[in-house]
Amino acid sequence: MTEPAATPHRQHSHEYEHLLPLFDELAGLDADDPRRADLREQLVTGFLPVAENIARRFSGRGAAKEDLVQVATLGLINAIDRFDPGKGTDFLSYAVPTVMGEVRRHFRDSSWTMRVPRRLKELHQDVSAASSTLAQRLGRAPTPAEIAEYLGVSRDDVYQGLQVGHAYHPASLEESVTGDDEGMRLAETVGEEDAGIEGVEYHESLQPLLRVLPQRERRILALRFFENLTQTQIAERVGLSQMHVSRLLSRSLARLREGITEDEG
Amino acid sequence: MSEQRRHVEIDSRDDIELRLGADVVHLPIVRSVAANIAMRADFDLDAISDLELAVDEACATLIALAAAESILGCRFTIGSDEIAMTASVCSDHTEAPSTSSFGWQVLNTLTDSAVTWSEPDGVGSGQHLVSIELSKRRPVVAG
Repeated sequence: MTEPAATPHRQHSHEYEHLLPLFDELAGLDADDPRRADLREQLVTGFLPVAENIARRFSGRGAAKEDLVQVATLGLINAIDRFDPGKGTDFLSYAVPTVMGEVRRHFRDSSWTMRVPRRLKELHQDVSAASSTLAQRLGRAPTPAEIAEYLGVSRDDVYQGLQVGHAYHPASLEESVTGDDEGMRLAETVGEEDAGIEGVEYHESLQPLLRVLPQRERRILALRFFENLTQTQIAERVGLSQMHVSRLLSRSLARLREGITEDEG
Repeated sequence: MSEQRRHVEIDSRDDIELRLGADVVHLPIVRSVAANIAMRADFDLDAISDLELAVDEACATLIALAAAESILGCRFTIGSDEIAMTASVCSDHTEAPSTSSFGWQVLNTLTDSAVTWSEPDGVGSGQHLVSIELSKRRPVVAG
């Protein structure tokens, strides 16, 4: 993907000059001062054209315009919350890369679902289905050699089928494998979502971080790290493939790390 | 803690070593090498994914401690029944990462052993070499 120029607003920064004193005002308030919310809102509204402008620069690449504006606005809010006027940097020089980073992350995470070559997609689905069947038969996760034997394909094909799962977004690979079944089984599990998190030593500090995760990811994380189930056992319990569970765990851990780092910073 | 480092009986020429900038943008490379090694060693799918997640977590932990512009070194040792990885960065911190954090619990759950230690870097720069070593054994397959 070619990048739009990162300096769309410099020449117009005087448009936003009237907003800059608000940052000093915001920095001067206590963390629990009720006026903060109002100031923050004024800043978000005032700088919204920046987010919209950046979202426009990324349009025409297969993502819905509304989504892009929403993601860019999220980036803008992050930039406003983290900006430190005391450091002497200009807000726009700080905000533009932050917003662009958020939009780029959106593309990385979600919008290249249509480009999986058909052969790889089929290989992945075969490997995924075979691993579920074999897991039931063996009572444990199968190895690549066992999957190759079961499918009557080479180990290299199995390796490719496994690896493509890491390169593409789950939605593009899993839908036709799990189908409606997933929604139904998930519905059954609602209500016991936080089982396993209760009573753990890390409960207090982890709880707010875990809240950034969708309910399903939170539950999977708890089953793996607090109840110590294997991914194959979790897959069976929540009605997803092991490979899908693996990807969700990977993403959740990365998001938790981000949260922890931000708290320290 | 260095006396706890493990020694796998295997010729060191079969080790695989990576050196990358200590930056999270390189994590996917380390992760995919880890998964690839476990896959080709015919570990089961749970163990492959566990090793991959553990390597990701360990390297991310070290990158967070790394001095600016430093290098992350990772060495994978492949034994007949175990894959081990040692990763190190130069750090301005003198302490090894906390083993009471959630991140460390994650490592402990995903691996058969995980240790961390910190030592002066040996060239008198005042920096420390902070390391994490972990290993994943091939699960025992019944029958």
